[in-house]
Amino acid sequence: MTRLAQVINLENCIGCQTCVHSCKMQNNVPMGLTWNRVLSDGEDVLDGASGVFPNLSRTYLPVACQHCQNASCQRVCPTGATYRDDEGRVLVDYSKCIGCRMCMAACPYNARVFNWHEPVRDPDFNYGGKDVPVRPKGVVEKCTLCKERAAEGKEPMCVQNCPTKARTYGDLDDPNSEASKLVREHKAYVLLEEQGNNPSLHYFD
Amino acid sequence: MSKTSGSSGGITRRGFLKATGVSAGALGLAGVASMTSADGWLAPAKAIAEPEERKAIICHQFHCLSSCGLECTVRDGRMVLVEPMELEDGTRGQVCLRGITEVQHTYTADRLQTPLKRVGERGEGKFVQISWDEAIKTVADAIKDCRAKYGEDSFFYRKSTEASVAHNYEFLASLLKADTGGRWGLDRGQANGSDPSGLTSGGLCLNSIYDWKNAATVVHLGSNLMESAMTWTPAFFEAKKNGTHMITVDFRYSPTVQKSHEWLAVTPGTDTALILGSINHILANKWYDEEFMKAHTSMPYLINKATGEIMGKMAVKIDPEVNEPVVDPETGETLEVKVPMVWDAATNAARYLDEAGIVPALEGTYNVDGVDVVTQFDLLKEQMAEFTPQWAAEVTGLTADQITSFADRYANAGPAIISYGFGGPDKYANADILGHSTSVLAAITGNSGKPGTGIGFYGIGGAKAGAEAIKFWEMPEEFVPGDSPVAMYDMPYEDNNIHCAFTFGDAFTLESGSANNMLDWVKTLDFFAICDIYHSSAVDYADIVLPACSKFESAEDVSDVRTGAIAPYVYLNQKVIDPLFEAKEDIEIERLIAAEFGLDKYMPQSNEELAKFMLSEPEGNMAGMTYEALKENGAMKLLDSDEIITGADAVPDQQYSTDTGRIELYYEDLLEHDLAFPQYETPQECYRENPKANDYPLMFVQGKSRYRIHAYYSASTWFQEYFGPVVNIHPKDAEARGIAMDDDVRIWNDRGEFVCRALINESVMPGTLFMAETTYNHYYPEGFLQNVTNAYRQERCYPMIFGPQIPYNDTLVEMKKA
Repeated sequence: MTRLAQVINLENCIGCQTCVHSCKMQNNVPMGLTWNRVLSDGEDVLDGASGVFPNLSRTYLPVACQHCQNASCQRVCPTGATYRDDEGRVLVDYSKCIGCRMCMAACPYNARVFNWHEPVRDPDFNYGGKDVPVRPKGVVEKCTLCKERAAEGKEPMCVQNCPTKARTYGDLDDPNSEASKLVREHKAYVLLEEQGNNPSLHYFD
Repeated sequence: MSKTSGSSGGITRRGFLKATGVSAGALGLAGVASMTSADGWLAPAKAIAEPEERKAIICHQFHCLSSCGLECTVRDGRMVLVEPMELEDGTRGQVCLRGITEVQHTYTADRLQTPLKRVGERGEGKFVQISWDEAIKTVADAIKDCRAKYGEDSFFYRKSTEASVAHNYEFLASLLKADTGGRWGLDRGQANGSDPSGLTSGGLCLNSIYDWKNAATVVHLGSNLMESAMTWTPAFFEAKKNGTHMITVDFRYSPTVQKSHEWLAVTPGTDTALILGSINHILANKWYDEEFMKAHTSMPYLINKATGEIMGKMAVKIDPEVNEPVVDPETGETLEVKVPMVWDAATNAARYLDEAGIVPALEGTYNVDGVDVVTQFDLLKEQMAEFTPQWAAEVTGLTADQITSFADRYANAGPAIISYGFGGPDKYANADILGHSTSVLAAITGNSGKPGTGIGFYGIGGAKAGAEAIKFWEMPEEFVPGDSPVAMYDMPYEDNNIHCAFTFGDAFTLESGSANNMLDWVKTLDFFAICDIYHSSAVDYADIVLPACSKFESAEDVSDVRTGAIAPYVYLNQKVIDPLFEAKEDIEIERLIAAEFGLDKYMPQSNEELAKFMLSEPEGNMAGMTYEALKENGAMKLLDSDEIITGADAVPDQQYSTDTGRIELYYEDLLEHDLAFPQYETPQECYRENPKANDYPLMFVQGKSRYRIHAYYSASTWFQEYFGPVVNIHPKDAEARGIAMDDDVRIWNDRGEFVCRALINESVMPGTLFMAETTYNHYYPEGFLQNVTNAYRQERCYPMIFGPQIPYNDTLVEMKKA
């Protein structure tokens, strides 16, 4: 089996948002939507800080679809639009999506976004990878681990463009992959483990 | 507040929305006359099954000093992807969000699209569209009229990186012998004080950023690499992983502070007190490096106690490279230098430094032919005595323990580096003293000329191989720019003969403080034309506006030749897309103006001709980089660029660039200011005891943001979803003024005012405000931040290498809910 994933080194995450914009570009994500966020974990505002000056802390936390093995979004999808493919990715078949947004409510990571309106793109043409499907009004969309790039043997755009190489992409079912090694060596963890979704994305500090 | 990794608290839907930050609506375009969207200008995408796709390589962006190598994908004539270029070893290079957003920013609605002529008052922003022919003739006629009326030196011309120096040349400045505004006043605050020591060059470090891993400690002194220069941060993490202790000195909890081991939160503008307090503590504890000081610094020189002058004799200055006297190119006279006198411990007598076999004494007071003298080192100890850690603690707001522990680590833990920022402590009127004192701290502890040592700005990657054989286009000797006696930032305040101006990019509001004063002066000009890519803050004040191409556009197959920084390659920048709208490349615009004077024949007639000339003798580390080879490859790696220059390589044999070859720490020419050794001086305006603080109690500091290079990227709608003109306010200061999150706030002082949005958070020190360096003025509800910044020119800096620097951060303000 294959279980594609990312392992993210939070020590190297500087909150620069390069992955966020790389994702928007590659996946032709319209204005107002995002598949990928870098949160200032637990803060009221982006780049905020916890504590009282000067005893402060801040953790940048990149969050996108966690590609769960036991995905709550998939369980609640009434049409089978959300599915797991052979590579372990959770994907959306846009032609089957009826816009009910059950998946959005079910996702504990808030990783999905919805095209409430006709997508507005700025610039007003389709940018990004030429094989990335254009999503219409009324469907849910989210991170695909850049499956169109993967088909060409490339890493996801966020992984390639990260200035600090905080992201490692690979197959967790292959014990020799760099990703698997990082998970073992750093005792990498998943977000919201108690939700029982068994996410594929892993993090370490 | 709960954290995500432990419980489900952090990733609530509400948390997401709040964390995402600014809503796009709040930052929408504010009435930009005669602008339309990019929509109408672009041909519809071809309705064919398989769209035509090609790739182009360019070097961009160079204004942040990363100069990344980018691979741009073009589909149906439109730029659809920007990725880091593939390197020789098969890996990809670096990029950050700024390069990525160009996919939108290049096409953004705030592009200038056609030539415009002003029809309203200056500053009103009322324009009508005109033809290029009319625009060029109007500009050329205005320059001609001005030169006829007031002389050649009445025409001010400046190209700035912000807009359109795609070709790195100022052809018109030379051809029209224009005033180019003299000194820039940017980024060289500390350099004024550290260059004379020999430890920096233009404020830049002498070694490579990749030498950080050899340091036990790196001090980030007002430097915030994690936002200003993201592509260089691997050097930080490599060093940190290798055990380097990271200390960041900043009044704000920046991302660089967040990633450092230690944070010294000094009150803005007081960094010098931290350094002086450390020097005091190191001297008191004898943590200095005696042998280093004796051998490589000016510390043994004898000082005349009565006059403060260095004892010595004048001698002919010899150029060590050729072993011949140095002649002043202007006067033709042979230059002289002072050979200092030291106390020779071997013979127990005063001797000159150039005599053989002397053993300089570091300490002592002596009498030389009836003159009482003292060594520099003893004088330093005497003068530093008052700057105790307790004193420094009071000034900086740190504890004395923090200062002594900093001094201990810096002096005793192993090799140490001090990394300056450009855009922090350098932007106060006392920055020269900070540079000077930092030099003293490094020199007395021997932190120079060894691996993992050094001081200076590392944000361009530090010392590295440069392209050795790029030729510079030459014009006949008669064509040189004018003398430019008055710096542009001085023009509103000092007599000058400027009556006509033509700038590429917004020079007037970016490269000076107190925008109201500057723009009032601009309004008095007979004529002002601007060429810019975007509707920048100065555009509304221009009589003629010319639209420039972005760096991605060219009318030819190639645009220009550049050297990368982060990926040290030579690039022959390829056309990514055709010029958008009616925009033209800057070289083309210069050529059109030059033609009105019959001078265009001295310029290259095409990008290709210029590039072929620049690459006509590819030797040394550029061997093989012919025009043809580069056209084929887009970029080629400099042959010696894998060498990392350590602190030891940077200063071979500990020979510095000073007259004596030693690190000079006593600045005789500052005796009249009592600053031969550094002393503490408050900033000019921004200090708590300033009586002005009664009316304006808040320290207003601007700095870098990941979403900007200065004002550049203001017009990116992708960034506008996250960021706009916002001021960071500490909760206490907000509460005291009844200000809530997202309120509009009015910020003002006696120079002017503006309105922006409040972002209340703990990251800033109470009593301070922080904003990212400017944003085009029409994105603010009212005014813009340059209206309040300080335009003071530090008098003592005029004779210094870089002159007075614009003290943007030396600013006090008050604030209320708008």
